Amino acid sequence: MSFELLVDPSLLQLALLMSTPLLLAALGELIIERSGILNVAIEGMMSVGAGVGFLVAFFTEDHLLGSLAAMAAVALMGWLLGYYGITLRANQLIIGLGLFIFGLGLPSLLYRIAFGPQMVAPRIDLMPSLAIPFLSEIPYIGPVLFDQPLLVYLTYLLVPVLSFFLFRTPLGLQLRACGENPRAADTLGVNIIATRYACVIIGAAIIGLAGYFIPAIVTATYTDNIIGGRGWIALQLVIFGRWLPGASISGALLFAYIEALQYRLALIAKSVPPQLFQTLPYIVAILVMIQVYQRAEKPAALMQPYNREARG
Amino acid sequence: MEGTSVLQATVRVEMRGLNKRFEDVVALDNASLSLQVGEVLALLGENGAGKTTLMNVLSGLYRADCGDIEINGQPVHINKPLDAIHQRIGMVHQHFELIGNFTALDNIILGQEGSRYVIDVAGQEKRVSELCQTYGLHVNLRTKVKDLAIGTQQKVEILKALYRGADILILDEPTTMLTPQEVDNLFLIIRQLVDNGLTVVIITHKIHEVLKVSDRITIMRRGKVICTIPTREANEAKLIALMMGAESSGDCQESVTLTDCGEKSEPMLQVRGLTVKDKHQHLVVEDVSFEICTSQIVGLVGVAGNGQRELAEAIAGLRPIVAGEIALSGKDLTHASIRTRLSKGITLVPEDRIRQGILPHLTVSETMVLGAHHFLFKDNQIFDLKAVEKKARAGIHEFDIRTPSEKTATCKLSGGNIQKVLLARAFLLDELVGIQLLIAFNPTRGLDIMTTHFVHNKLAALRAAGKSTLLISEDLDEAMQLCDRIVVIRASRLVGDFTRDCYDRYKIGAAMVGGEG
Amino acid sequence: MSQATLVRRVPIQKIAKSLLRGLVLYGISIVVALLVNSLFIAASGGNIIDAYSKIFSSSFGSWIGFGQTLNKWTPLLLGALAVALGNRGGVYNIGVDGQIYIGAVFATGLGFLLADVPIPAPLIVFLVLLAGFIGGGMYAGIAGYLRAVYNVNEIFTTVMMNFVAVFIVEYLATGPWNDPIAGEAITLPIISSAHLPSLIPRTGSHLGILFALLMVFGIWFLLNKTRLGFHIRAVGDNPVASEVGGVNIRTSIFLTLALSGAIAGLAGAVEVIGVHGGRLILGLTPNYGSLAILISAVGMASPTIILGWSAFFAVFFVGSDSLQRSISFPAAGVLVFQAVMFLIIMWIRLLHERGSLAFLGEKS
Repeated sequence: MSFELLVDPSLLQLALLMSTPLLLAALGELIIERSGILNVAIEGMMSVGAGVGFLVAFFTEDHLLGSLAAMAAVALMGWLLGYYGITLRANQLIIGLGLFIFGLGLPSLLYRIAFGPQMVAPRIDLMPSLAIPFLSEIPYIGPVLFDQPLLVYLTYLLVPVLSFFLFRTPLGLQLRACGENPRAADTLGVNIIATRYACVIIGAAIIGLAGYFIPAIVTATYTDNIIGGRGWIALQLVIFGRWLPGASISGALLFAYIEALQYRLALIAKSVPPQLFQTLPYIVAILVMIQVYQRAEKPAALMQPYNREARG
Repeated sequence: MEGTSVLQATVRVEMRGLNKRFEDVVALDNASLSLQVGEVLALLGENGAGKTTLMNVLSGLYRADCGDIEINGQPVHINKPLDAIHQRIGMVHQHFELIGNFTALDNIILGQEGSRYVIDVAGQEKRVSELCQTYGLHVNLRTKVKDLAIGTQQKVEILKALYRGADILILDEPTTMLTPQEVDNLFLIIRQLVDNGLTVVIITHKIHEVLKVSDRITIMRRGKVICTIPTREANEAKLIALMMGAESSGDCQESVTLTDCGEKSEPMLQVRGLTVKDKHQHLVVEDVSFEICTSQIVGLVGVAGNGQRELAEAIAGLRPIVAGEIALSGKDLTHASIRTRLSKGITLVPEDRIRQGILPHLTVSETMVLGAHHFLFKDNQIFDLKAVEKKARAGIHEFDIRTPSEKTATCKLSGGNIQKVLLARAFLLDELVGIQLLIAFNPTRGLDIMTTHFVHNKLAALRAAGKSTLLISEDLDEAMQLCDRIVVIRASRLVGDFTRDCYDRYKIGAAMVGGEG
Repeated sequence: MSQATLVRRVPIQKIAKSLLRGLVLYGISIVVALLVNSLFIAASGGNIIDAYSKIFSSSFGSWIGFGQTLNKWTPLLLGALAVALGNRGGVYNIGVDGQIYIGAVFATGLGFLLADVPIPAPLIVFLVLLAGFIGGGMYAGIAGYLRAVYNVNEIFTTVMMNFVAVFIVEYLATGPWNDPIAGEAITLPIISSAHLPSLIPRTGSHLGILFALLMVFGIWFLLNKTRLGFHIRAVGDNPVASEVGGVNIRTSIFLTLALSGAIAGLAGAVEVIGVHGGRLILGLTPNYGSLAILISAVGMASPTIILGWSAFFAVFFVGSDSLQRSISFPAAGVLVFQAVMFLIIMWIRLLHERGSLAFLGEKS
């Protein structure tokens, strides 16, 4: 195994591609958590986004409609989480787990209803790559960075946009206040309830789009367990990135790189069982988080339902 | 303001006949107060006198049970903090309501950012900076609040109020965590505010500061407003007397020796050079040494937040120690685990009943035996619920705990009854392994008279049985009534040591607040 | 201050009233859940009445069906107990599926090791089950250690370990332990004396349910009758107060996760020797772990209440299986069914707690 293998441009290009659903889901989750809600249903939400998006994309042959459908379906799940967590003040962890399981089964169910048993798996056309003229011709890094599907560019653009929104706009300030100290924010007139609902719905929609990414750009089909734990990793990416949009990028790239690398390694070291390499991303994830949990500073009021009447 | 006669001063706020009860406790008793334009009013009183409660009513945090408030001659209804803000009232609480992860500027403009879409950071910074200039408040607006010194954080809180156009600024114990330089700085700022026409109320117990910075002083005691006097007519002795309700009595020999157990008892708890730091590496207990003998109750008094809690937790084993030793009956327990300390008879009745004391969703019996359960059964691994409940019933009976049954969820009990459960636990431990040291932290806070008497009797019984007790209390009268000795803690150090024959409310109060006595 | 005034005996009427209220609450929840689920059935192209009658007839109507229900009840019950134990101790074990798998690996492995050893059958069964117990316990213990010492969130670690476990089983079942005749991802069988005898003849049910019921008792005993159980519950309720009471929080958290995983591991062992004829297969757990989370939440982490709810879920599980054959109702439908049931039940319960269901009387 040589150094060239590790930095092979097609590997890097794949890594950047695969980092996108992780990053996008993490951004959606970040919005939700910054407002003070914990969403552990993220894996199930991505699953619904993938399934619903795939079905709509298949029947309409339109990626835009597929994307919108994915976002709308998961936004609905987000609203549900909000209803239980904000209005009913339920335990967000337990409800999130329930929604996660719901999200595992629902797209599978819809898929079977739509297609029934199939010999050949239905496919959609992959979202094409969009090579940016001139930039993509730069030797070596050109194709890696600038010959990617549109959604990749949009996701990475979302990082500075979200940063700007969170840290330079009044709404962003109020949003963050909800997650840090809702009591202080409430005293100053911020509408905690409305803000949290908006965040959980919008964040969920973004997570749904992240889920749609997988069938639309990577696999072209839908299978059970298509998300494969990415939702859970995205959940940890938020912590890894200390709830900052930009800082999640390195984590997303790291995991995606290992995932992409694992395929290569399996091809080369044929004598080693492939499953060994398949476990790598998950084990690395745990090891990384051991470091992170020593230091992380979460939004101070994460997961605590806000009750104005409660004596602090 | 020297030249202004009382008749000419304009009344800005008039508070009349305010009453407030919390469960069994009377916090405000027909309290009335008026605030004038352009003055500094000091609200002086002991722990629990009602000063903070009165101002919390004005700032919308509490609603009075009855009474009314007029601002600039108009009756107003203040039901929530936002109402108070609209009435141009701003309050800086003892525990700041700031968002640590936000910058100072963010904290100040939150909720009134001045624009809909994008925050004009430069513009807002300019606006706030002008306020800073006018009032002499120097804050680095771009620093995160959690990285600011306490004194600077306080300025941020003040700016928050000023930014919203406050005419009335209430400061609750503003100098507790400030360095002397920061205190001087604060006084300059207060003078600036007042010269610009604001009304400033300082809630405090520090006599020297009151004399230095205020125009008028209102003294409160036990929820009542005792009187209001112009500062120029006040002096330290008079204020302490009014505050404590006692005059200065004659000289008395303060106890100098730390160890004087007499003939009939011997030293039980020995604390030497105890030093504890908090998570920000600030000293919260500094080189504290004292002893408690058998058959003795020692009272630790002081203004809340001067290191009592950390000292109690260190002795109980909940907090790591930076330096010093703790020994029980000669045996070193400095690094012993909590379980070991329990087995040796050190038990804590915690200050925060709910957070540190109870198992909210488990039964009353289970809460009662928690800590004592290690010693309840011969066979260590078994947990016989029947036996537990039997003990619990005995405890419920003996302590007159009001609960539907011993199987009720603990969180359903009222505060007073929860306190009784915690006490019952201590006595259960006494029954099982024998208490050597009881640390009782504010055991009667919030309890009604009958229950308080009951607790006092139990503590006296412990003493009669030869045990040692460290009573940490915010109620000086209680301490004087029960304790054989009182030590005073101020700013993480022990500053006074009084024996029973020398109890002088005035002197002790002076030690607590930093007067010369 | 007499005894009588302090401890009031709860009158029979009050108990009956709250029981009735409970029945009504859960009755409403189940009916609403069934209604919502019928939407899914209809969407699959099935007749609703037909479908529901088929669900019940297939799980109760025939002896074979009944046996199936018992067999499904076992892992669901054990899994839910595992999750519940974790919850009571203040940890969230989302890794039951992974622990089932690793328990199954240990069980199968021991089975192979003991192949030529002359031991009476009951002892082998016991040892194999014990291996499962230990395997699951060790696997979850890793997560417990990371949480106790490094404060790493156990939800994340157990979930990641689920994926790792699947790969381990895939490797073993397709590689070194593979039975080429039986199929792609199925292992050779372990010694037949280790297989679980059947419970009721000609129903296909195995003894496993007895172990599960024993475990219900075991958990109940642990939690309510032992010092460790008290510590687990205390830490789960208020770690700060527990610390004041001399309880070692870290030890408690570690043991809670380890024991939780051990129960799941036992379920894995039972599946191997009870259902699959001594073979470890990929797909040994069709999401039992996820369903266990739902059952535990609905059963409020109480072993006895879980006993009932897991049976209920088992009925629907078997029923959905048969729907899969008749109206091509997909296997994933089970997850949707149960999740919807869970959400509706929680909804009604939360509304009641809030006091929004005034017509039912004040909340107890």
